[in-house]
Amino acid sequence: MRTPSRGLFAALALTPLLAGCFVSDSGSATDGEGASGGRLRVALAVPPVQALSPYSNDATVLSKLSVAEGLTALGKDGAAAPALAKSWTQKNATTWAFELRKATFQDGTEVTAETVVGALDQAGKAEPKPRVLSDVTLTAKAEDADTVTITTKAADPVLPLRLASPALGILSPKAYAKDGTVSPVGTGTGPFEITKLTGKSKATLDRFDGYWGGKAKAPGVDVTWIADGTARANALRGGDVDIAEWIPTAQAKLLDEDTRHEVPSVRTDSLVLNTGSGLFTDAALRAAAREAVDGGALVDSVFGGYADPAQGLFGPAVPWAADDRVEVTGRAQAATTAQVESKTKGRTLRLATYTNRAELPEAATVLQQQLEKAGFTVKQDVREYTQMEADLLEGKYDALVFSRVTLLDTGDAVAYLASDYTGDGVYNIAGLKDSGVDQAIKSAAEEDDTEQRQQKIMRAEAEILRTDAVVPLVHEKVVQGIATGVEGVLLDPRERSLVDVDTRVK
Amino acid sequence: MSVTPVGADARPARWRAGAGRVVAGTALLTAVALLPWLSGNDPALTVLRARSADQDPTPAQLAAIREQLGLDEGPFTHLAHWLGGLPRGDAGTSWVSGEPVLPQVSTAFAVSVTLMLGALVVTIAVAALVCARTLHLGSRRRLRQGRAGTGAAVLAALPKFLLASLLATVCGVWLGWFPSQGWEGPRSMVLPALALGVPSGAMIGGLLDQSLPAAFNEPWARTWHAYGFRSGHVARHALRRTLAGVLPQLLPTVVALVGGAVAVEKIFNIPGLGRLALDAATAQDLPPLQTATLVLVLLGVVAGLLIQALRRALLGPALRDGALPTLHAPALPRRRSTRRVAGFCAVALLTLVVAGLLRDPLHVDTAARLLPPSAAHPLGTDSLGRDLLARLGHGALRTASVAFAVTAVSTALGLLLGMAARVGAGLTEVVSTLPAVLAGLLTTAVTGPSVWGAALAVCLVGWSPYAAQTAALLEQERASGHMLAAISFGADRRYLLRRHLLPAVLPSVLRNALLRLPTTVLVLASLGFLGLGEQPPTPEWGRLLSENQPYAELAPWTVLGPACALVLLSVLAVSGTASGRGRARGREKVPSLQK
Repeated sequence: MRTPSRGLFAALALTPLLAGCFVSDSGSATDGEGASGGRLRVALAVPPVQALSPYSNDATVLSKLSVAEGLTALGKDGAAAPALAKSWTQKNATTWAFELRKATFQDGTEVTAETVVGALDQAGKAEPKPRVLSDVTLTAKAEDADTVTITTKAADPVLPLRLASPALGILSPKAYAKDGTVSPVGTGTGPFEITKLTGKSKATLDRFDGYWGGKAKAPGVDVTWIADGTARANALRGGDVDIAEWIPTAQAKLLDEDTRHEVPSVRTDSLVLNTGSGLFTDAALRAAAREAVDGGALVDSVFGGYADPAQGLFGPAVPWAADDRVEVTGRAQAATTAQVESKTKGRTLRLATYTNRAELPEAATVLQQQLEKAGFTVKQDVREYTQMEADLLEGKYDALVFSRVTLLDTGDAVAYLASDYTGDGVYNIAGLKDSGVDQAIKSAAEEDDTEQRQQKIMRAEAEILRTDAVVPLVHEKVVQGIATGVEGVLLDPRERSLVDVDTRVK
Repeated sequence: MSVTPVGADARPARWRAGAGRVVAGTALLTAVALLPWLSGNDPALTVLRARSADQDPTPAQLAAIREQLGLDEGPFTHLAHWLGGLPRGDAGTSWVSGEPVLPQVSTAFAVSVTLMLGALVVTIAVAALVCARTLHLGSRRRLRQGRAGTGAAVLAALPKFLLASLLATVCGVWLGWFPSQGWEGPRSMVLPALALGVPSGAMIGGLLDQSLPAAFNEPWARTWHAYGFRSGHVARHALRRTLAGVLPQLLPTVVALVGGAVAVEKIFNIPGLGRLALDAATAQDLPPLQTATLVLVLLGVVAGLLIQALRRALLGPALRDGALPTLHAPALPRRRSTRRVAGFCAVALLTLVVAGLLRDPLHVDTAARLLPPSAAHPLGTDSLGRDLLARLGHGALRTASVAFAVTAVSTALGLLLGMAARVGAGLTEVVSTLPAVLAGLLTTAVTGPSVWGAALAVCLVGWSPYAAQTAALLEQERASGHMLAAISFGADRRYLLRRHLLPAVLPSVLRNALLRLPTTVLVLASLGFLGLGEQPPTPEWGRLLSENQPYAELAPWTVLGPACALVLLSVLAVSGTASGRGRARGREKVPSLQK
C-alpha cells in the first residue's frame, strides 16, 4: 500500500528532473557574477516583440546597444551626423547623394552601395511599413561602389534625419529572409555583434573587432530584459547588472545617489481634451480646464522630482525649443466655476488614462481633484492601453492623461504634430480640426532650412496651445541606473543610445 | 500506482466524465478563439500596438496587418487551421512576432511547471507545519480543544505579490542570499517558490487541520491507540484518511499557479506561462493564447486524473465497497482564546471603519506625500498624500460585501457542480487551471468594462475549489455505511441531501471559502486594468495594496495597513464562524468525545 508520503516524495523527485527547465538561460549563466571579464551587464525594459526585427519596437535595442547603424546618426544637437555615410549632399529638392565609408558587416562582407540599396528597399517593402517611412516614398540607387543616391517622391527636408532612424539600420543581405523576416543576429555593422538571442529574456553580444570606428572597450554585453521596473531596480541594487534603464520614479530614491542618473526625456505628459465631441467642444470649458490644471503639482509628488513643469509641448530635451518659443495668444476666456457648473449641467467629465505607465493613474487622480475644484464632475476610466485605444481614437472620452514622445523616430517634431493635431491626423485623439493649426503644421513640414523649420514648429506649437486641445503637464525625466564601476554610458534624451564603443567597466 | 478498480457502473460514468472534459475544453477554446470578434476590439490595432508602440494606426497599416494575418477569414477558419496544425506539432505562428508558437509555449510551460513544483514543496512543508500540532496531539489522544486555525488564516491571507516584493527586497537585495530576479538555476527558484507556496500551504494546512480531529475520532483510531500502536502509525493513517478530502484542493491552489502566477512572475522576472498568456491576451495574439489555454486545460485534466488516482489509492477498497466510516468532527470545546481573537478582530476592524469613515478618503494633498503614521494620519498617507485610514475605512464595506457576495455565489455554484460529480469533474478540472485574467478578458469582451464585471469574472472561475472539494467529500460520504442504512430505511434523496450529504460537506467548504476570502479580494482588484470593477480613485482594499505596492520599500506603512486589514478580516471570518459553530454544537448536546 502506498503511503501519502511516498507519493509526495515522488513529486519531489521530479523537481531536479525538471531543473532542466532552466535551459533557456544556462548558456550565459555560466559566467556568473564578477567573472564576466569586463563584459557589460545591461537590463533593458521592453522585451523584444519580433526577435529584434528593425521594423518593430525592437529597433531601438539595435541602436541602444550599438549593433546596427544607419547611413546617418542623430547628433547631440538633434542634427544628422555621419555614420555609415561619411558625407552627403543634396543635389536637388528630391535627390540626395550619400558617400559611404569603408565598413564591414559583422558577417565579414563589405558594406557596398548595393547592399545599402538592398537594405533600404527591404525597409520600403516591409508590411506594415515602418513608422519612419509612413509619410514618404524613397528610392535608393547605387551610383558607384560607395555612393548611394536617394530620391524621394515629394521634397523631404529631413531625409538625413530620417535615415538615422533605427528602423533604417543597414544590415547585411544575409539578414533578410525570403518570408520578410529580418534578423540582426551577426548582420549589423556596429561595434557589438549579437551572437545569441534567447527568447524574450536574454541576448549575448560580443565585441565586433572589424568595426570601422575602432574596437569597443568592453569585450561584450549581456542583455537581460526585465519588464518590471522594481525588478530592474532590484537587479541593479543586488549587483546582477551594471546598467538598468528606466528606473521607475517610485524606485529611484532607493538607488544610491551615485548610481542614478537623470536625463530629460522627449516625452511630454499632457491632458488631451476632446474637442470633437462631448463637454470640451466648448472652448470656454477647455480654457477653464486649462486654468484649473496645474502640472507643476505633479512634479514633486507623482514624479518624485523626476520631471520638469511643462513649458509647452516640447521640453528641455528639445534643445532649441526654449529659444524659439512663441507666446500663445488669442486663447478663449475661461469659464468661472459657476459657469462651469451651469454649462456642464450634471454631465460628468470622463477622464481616461492607462496603466502602462505607472505615473499616469496617479496623475489622473491629482488632476481629478484640480478639475473638481473648478466645478467639473469627474469620473475616471483607467485601463490597459490596448484595451482602450480604439475607444480613444473614437473620441469616447472627454479628457485623456497622455504620455507622448514628441520627437518620433524621424527625430523631427513635425511628424508628431501632424499625426496628433492636424484635422486628418491618424492619432488625433483631441479630435482637433482647426485651419490655423493645420496651416502652421503644413508650413513647418515644408520648410527645409533647419533654423526656420524649428521656428515654424514652435509657431505651430503656439497655435495648438491656443485651441486648448491639449494642456501640457510635465516633461518627463528618465532615470538610468548605472553602477559606479561603469563609465561611458550615453544618457540620450531620445532613448536611442546607451552603450557604445567607449562604454566599459572600470 | 495501485489504482483501485471501480464498480460495475464505472464505465458509463467515466465515459460521461471524459465527455464533460472534452465539452468544457472545447467550449473554452472556442470562446478564446472568438475573443477578438466578441470584444469588438480590432485585433489589427492591438497587434500593431504590440509590435510597435509609436506606429500610427493608419487605415493602410491596419489593412496590411489584417491581410497579413488573414483576419477577414473569420474566427472559425482560424480555429480550424490552428487545430489542423496541432497533430503535426504545429501550433501556428505568433501574430505579433511571426515566430512559431510551440517552442515558446513549451519553454514557458516548462519554466512554470518547475516553479509550480517548487511551490508544491513549500506548500507541503507549510501545510505540515500548520497541522503538526493537531497531528501530534491527536495521535496521542490528547486533542481536547478545537483549533480555530487563526495562524493558518493569517498566512493564507498574505497577498502573494506582496510576499514576493518583500522577499525580493529583503532576501534578494538587502541580504543577498538569493537572486532578487531572474531564472538562472535552482537558487533563483527559492524566493518565488516561497512567495507562492506559503499562502497555498497555509490554505491546504488549514483544511487538513480542520478535518484531522474527525479522523482521530474514528473507532479504529481509538482501538489502535488502546491496542498500543505507535502514535506515528496512527498519525500516518489519520493523514491518509483526511488527505483524500483535501488533495483535490491542490489543483486550484497549486497546479493553477502554472498559469496564474503572473504577478509573482513579473516581480521575479520569470519567463513563465502566465506572463506569456497575459501578453498574448492583451495583444489579442490568438495562436499563443489558444495554445497556452490548451496546455492549461490539458494540465488541469491530467493533474485532476492524477489526484483522483492518488485519492483512490489512499482510501483503498473501502471507497469501492461503501465501507468507509463517516468522517464527522467531534464536538471539541473551543478554546476561549478563539472567541477572544474573534472579538479582538471585530473590535479592531470596527474601530478602523468608524475612524476611517469620519475622514476624507479622496482628498489629495501632494505636499503630505508618503508621511509615516502620526497623530494627524494614524496609518500614514499614500503617494498622493491621501489618508490611509480614511481609505481603508471607506473601502471596508465595499470590499467586504463584494468579496462575501462573490464567495457566496462561488460556493453555491461549487456545491451544485460538485454534486453533479461526474459531469462537474471535467468542468472543474478545466476551469481550475484557468487564470482569472482570462476569465476577465472573456467577461470584458461580452459585457464591456463594468463595475460588476470583476465580480462576474471571479464567479466564473472561483467556484472550482469548492466543486472539487464537494465532489471529493460527497464521494466519501456516499461510500459510508450509514448512508446505506439510511437508504435501506427508505430515505428519499432530499432527506439524504439535507440530513447526510450537506452536513458532511458544508463545514469544510465553508472553511475553505473563508480561507480564500482574501485571495478573492486581491483577484477582484487585479482585474482593474481591464476596466472591470470600481474605477479609481474609489478606495478598495485590493486596489490599495496594488497601487501602493511600488512604494512597499520606501514607505512600508502604505501596504502594511491594507495587508493587516485583510488579515483581520480573514481571521475574524475564520475564528468567528469557528466559535459560532462551537456554540451551536454545544447547544445540540452531541454526546461528547469518548476517551
